[in-house]
Amino acid sequence: MVSVINTVDTSHEDMIHDAQMDYYGTRLATCSSDRSVKIFDVRNGGQILIADLRGHEGPVWQVAWAHPMYGNILASCSYDRKVIVWKEENGTWEKTYEYTGHDSSVNSVCWAPHDYGLILACGSSDGAISLLSYTGDGQWEIKKISNAHTIGCNAVSWAPAVVPGSLIDQPSGQKPNYIKRFASGGCDNLIKIWKEEDGQWKEEQKLEAHSDWVRDVAWAPSIGLPTSTIASCSQDGRVFIWTCDDASGNSWSPKLLHKFNDVVWHVSWSITANILAVSGGDNKVTLWKESVDGLWVCISDVNKGQGAVSAITEGQQNEQ
Amino acid sequence: MAARWSSENVVVEFRDSQATAMSVDCLGQHAVLSGRRFLYIVNLDVPTEGHRKISRQSKWDIGAVQWNPHDSYAHYFAASSNQRVDLYKWKDGNGEVGTSLQGHTRVISDLDWAVFEPDLLVTSSVDTYIYIWDIKDTRKPTVSLSAVAGASQVKWNKKNTNCLATSHDGDVRIWDKRKPSTAVEYLAAHLSKIHGLDWHPDNEYILATSSQDNSVRFWDYRQPRKYLNILPCQVPVWKARYTPFSNGLVTVMVPQLRRENSLLLWNTFDLNTPVHTFVGHDDVVLEFQWRKQKEGSKDYQLVTWSRDQTLRMWRVDSQLQRLCANDILDGVDELIDGIALLPEPDKTLHIQDSEPQHSSGHADEEALKEDFQNDLLVGRKSDKLGLPQTLQQEFSLINVQIRNVNVEMDAVNRSCTVSVHCGNQRVKMRVMFPVQYPNNAAPSFQFAPTTTISSTMKAKLLKILNDTSLQKVKRNQSCLEPCLRQLVSYLESVVNQEDSTSSNPYALTNTVTPPLPTFARVSNAYGSYQDSNIPFPRTSGARFCGAGYLVYFTRPMTMHRAVSPTEPTPRSLSALSAYHSGLITPMKIRTETPGNLRLYSGSPTRSEKEQVSISSFYYKERKSRRWKSKREGTDASNRPIKAAGKVILQDISCLLPVHKSLGEQYILNISNIQETCQKNASSALAVGRRDLIQVWSLATVATDLCLGPKSDPDLETPWAQHPFGRQLLESLLAHYCQLHDVQTLAMLCSVFEAQSRLQGCVSSLGPFPQRSSNVLSHSRYPSFTSSGSCSSMSDPGLNAGGWNIASKETEHAFTPWCESSPDDLRYGNLTYADHRERERDQHDKNKRLLDPANTQQFDDFKKCYGEILYRWGLREKRAEVLKFVSCPPDPHKGIEFGVYCSHCRSEVRGTQCAICKGFTFQCAICHVAVRGSSNFCLTCGHGGHTSHMMEWFRTQEVCPTGCGCHCLLESTF
Repeated sequence: MVSVINTVDTSHEDMIHDAQMDYYGTRLATCSSDRSVKIFDVRNGGQILIADLRGHEGPVWQVAWAHPMYGNILASCSYDRKVIVWKEENGTWEKTYEYTGHDSSVNSVCWAPHDYGLILACGSSDGAISLLSYTGDGQWEIKKISNAHTIGCNAVSWAPAVVPGSLIDQPSGQKPNYIKRFASGGCDNLIKIWKEEDGQWKEEQKLEAHSDWVRDVAWAPSIGLPTSTIASCSQDGRVFIWTCDDASGNSWSPKLLHKFNDVVWHVSWSITANILAVSGGDNKVTLWKESVDGLWVCISDVNKGQGAVSAITEGQQNEQ
Repeated sequence: MAARWSSENVVVEFRDSQATAMSVDCLGQHAVLSGRRFLYIVNLDVPTEGHRKISRQSKWDIGAVQWNPHDSYAHYFAASSNQRVDLYKWKDGNGEVGTSLQGHTRVISDLDWAVFEPDLLVTSSVDTYIYIWDIKDTRKPTVSLSAVAGASQVKWNKKNTNCLATSHDGDVRIWDKRKPSTAVEYLAAHLSKIHGLDWHPDNEYILATSSQDNSVRFWDYRQPRKYLNILPCQVPVWKARYTPFSNGLVTVMVPQLRRENSLLLWNTFDLNTPVHTFVGHDDVVLEFQWRKQKEGSKDYQLVTWSRDQTLRMWRVDSQLQRLCANDILDGVDELIDGIALLPEPDKTLHIQDSEPQHSSGHADEEALKEDFQNDLLVGRKSDKLGLPQTLQQEFSLINVQIRNVNVEMDAVNRSCTVSVHCGNQRVKMRVMFPVQYPNNAAPSFQFAPTTTISSTMKAKLLKILNDTSLQKVKRNQSCLEPCLRQLVSYLESVVNQEDSTSSNPYALTNTVTPPLPTFARVSNAYGSYQDSNIPFPRTSGARFCGAGYLVYFTRPMTMHRAVSPTEPTPRSLSALSAYHSGLITPMKIRTETPGNLRLYSGSPTRSEKEQVSISSFYYKERKSRRWKSKREGTDASNRPIKAAGKVILQDISCLLPVHKSLGEQYILNISNIQETCQKNASSALAVGRRDLIQVWSLATVATDLCLGPKSDPDLETPWAQHPFGRQLLESLLAHYCQLHDVQTLAMLCSVFEAQSRLQGCVSSLGPFPQRSSNVLSHSRYPSFTSSGSCSSMSDPGLNAGGWNIASKETEHAFTPWCESSPDDLRYGNLTYADHRERERDQHDKNKRLLDPANTQQFDDFKKCYGEILYRWGLREKRAEVLKFVSCPPDPHKGIEFGVYCSHCRSEVRGTQCAICKGFTFQCAICHVAVRGSSNFCLTCGHGGHTSHMMEWFRTQEVCPTGCGCHCLLESTF
């Protein structure tokens, strides 16, 4: 049975814009219009404020936890055009890096799969996407894709690390030859897939189906299947599931999950990539699951504030 | 004011026409005046006589009217009436209604005939859509542009046939009609509603906008972030349009208290003073248009229509036209180039004088540049992030336009005197700022004797002010402006309570006319300047986190109650304010009487939001949006409203196909696979996965030793090739793939891998599993049909066809192992000298239950499951599963001891040096090459197997080699 295990009163002074738990599910990070980022220890149903991070000068839109193999690291992005990387050292959280290379609000941050190293992708309203790679010794290398989305970039999401081709090509003891990819969505109504080739980021695919700003993209985690899956949502209320079966990653086909009555802000995949959580302007959270015959059905409706997942039928969902 | 002024040349009065709109046709013959009951067609050659009427039956006024601008269609005009556009035909003194264009669902705000295509008409509406109609097919619009926000103006570009511009509150969008889904450019043009929009007649990129914010701005839409130039006015500007000759511009103001009903003619290159004033109308000028030049005449005629019910025509002779000519610069382009080349000024603070002092007469280029720089400075400042650092800065940034407040600031003595009057109440207080302010040091407040409010109210007010200031300075933020706002809103609420007759707080606030700005507007650091392309913030969201949690947050219940479900959430941050004004201003009244009210409904839009911090900006916006039904709307901000909802963590692991308890209980005992399967079946029973009980029972049967393959291929077909062998397993895997049950997948793969290893397949196959994993294995999945191909040894001809493409890849990947095509067979024949050897190899593959071709797939399952086990904190279980991964794990990352050969000093890996073939690291005790657990002294470099070293140093202190090094003392760690 789905159960509420914790209800955290963040004491933020203004609207919350993002909340995420770390890799193990022991800590919660939240960010808000009150310009702060807060970290709570939420183990055993408790709620202990570990850190109240101040450093942004505008509303903070999103947070992202790095893989724990690099330590306890959190990235946040804000309206103030800054991206801040916070790190826990000896029990205290401190700003370890601040990136100010964008000319407008930074709307999305996403850490690359840990296999690639510590790499952060940032999407901004100035239309650019920045890739910040930690090169050790407190240094970060910056690559910028300018004009990735005209008008603005709203979301970035990395593809899971997949080793392409034959292992025989890779001399043992060397780094596996990963192909790095990520997806981005923007105000040009497009989803773009970017691929690194010889250290340069190139636009590999352009996915067109939405009729308004794309608000979020989420690349599904891999469980070892060759199919790549991306979920996207938009101001137009539509959620699309994009799949690509071929290894070269060229032919993506969209499938409409649902058309909502209001903007859809966020899509998120479960760890086994079989459930999608959708949330948007209607203040509701719905969970969707692909049935064995390939249809997406709403399996629940997490009512706002009430904290219960109650199963509802597809018909009821449509009525609402 | 103006250098010249004139009266009209022709005046014709149309009493009782009640016309709200006017249009002059492209031939310059007729003007149409549209009233509620009649449309008057006026012959402009003889305007005093012979005007005709077309009667109409409608309770709606005509919103916009326009003649078709093409000669061949000159007798057509379009008139909008509420949600409909009527097409009229005027011929031989008779007018009739043609068809109607119906599609909009709310009142139409503007219409415009295409400049290049005579059949096209564009309409804009409050319903957020912009429709382009082809009058040959009037059933539905040919193009629909969705703007999300309601549009007030729409204008075709005069040079580019596909381009058009629309205005939405303070923003302008540029569209390409071939790309209707989204605007090609956004200009966050004004701080307040845009009343007028006009494209430059000659330059396709330039447009002029006139706004409620008392300015006309000139834009090159290729540079949406900054305007080219600005014409600051004392009053809101109703329309600003380019003249058809030289570089002129005609403006009409929105009349405020003063009756200013003149039209002003400007030279766009010298915006300091108008070059001409057309004085004559007694009431608001509703419309003005240019009449086509008569042949042979150099004069232009301006036709104007006013609410005083007179039509006037003004002659603009060549002398007047010359005043608009540009004698400083030769072309618009040059001006733009010049401006673009200006260096970016420093971000210093700079208050611009309301009326810049310029040398009289013609402004020279220098002055123009300076003017522009000033504008730029103001723009930059509004752009500046962060908060003022010093008191002086704070004072200079204080918004002096707060209603009814007068502030005398004295930065030297670190104090200021605030006087506020509201109704019959008057408060005067002195605010002293300590030296450390605003760094955790709050200012002190003291009432002056002229204060009229009671002592209890004083105490309350002091508490509010102290709380507000403390809250801010605690975060080292300045607090004067928030305090002022608190003061004013408190006072207003007090007055409202006293004055029981004023039932509507909005009515009160709206009747107070804000004073005309005497200072340049200092807009908020987070104004709408660039917000039009920043997405509207998420206020709810859900994320899957960890291994089985769902984290979600929503708006607090109190904040979303008032929202009607039909209202869509706006798209961008700037729309927030437009949205806000849309609710407060009498939008409903507009639709009911789209005539007069629509025209001059002042937009309170942005004046409301001159807030200090972004949070209060949101707060207020949200409040007025969501609390609009509450009576105490204005002072709601005084009370602490919980803006942040709770974050809820849910355990959704029951929805996932993987189970943590199974992860804990599953075992992988290589030595007894039968028992492993049985135990796992009972574990599955414990968590209620009945399907898994069956699966593990099947696995028990399939791994039975009696089914073990024989080593000689000729004795019998291996069990793997039986329908209950590999095919059964693969259909199981395919099923759990569909369910995304990576736990079952990984465990099955591990168990069968263990079984095959037990049967010795691996040792005989050597590197086989690694080699076979290639692109092919992935592309085959998830159908698992490859089993057929691998067992096809007996008849390779069967599987030609479909596998050919795959075989190309195989060839490329140097994989002679996959006999999936005749090509490969041939290749195989070459490789294997001995037919029997090939047969044995094939047999080794065939007897495996897990198809070797999919090894990489199976590895991926195990790795993914390993990652999930890691999140669950089951590291040992993870290691157990990862043992069965065929390819090596990632190389160690982090600190590593580099090993150099002790003989030839070259860097080596492994136990033997590749160059001199000597052992890299020899145990000092047993003289065998060391691999695995070892220890060595960092000083002398000697060492060996950990067990040997432990034993040696239990009794000894010096190096076992006899080199004399006191290893234990040297290597203190």
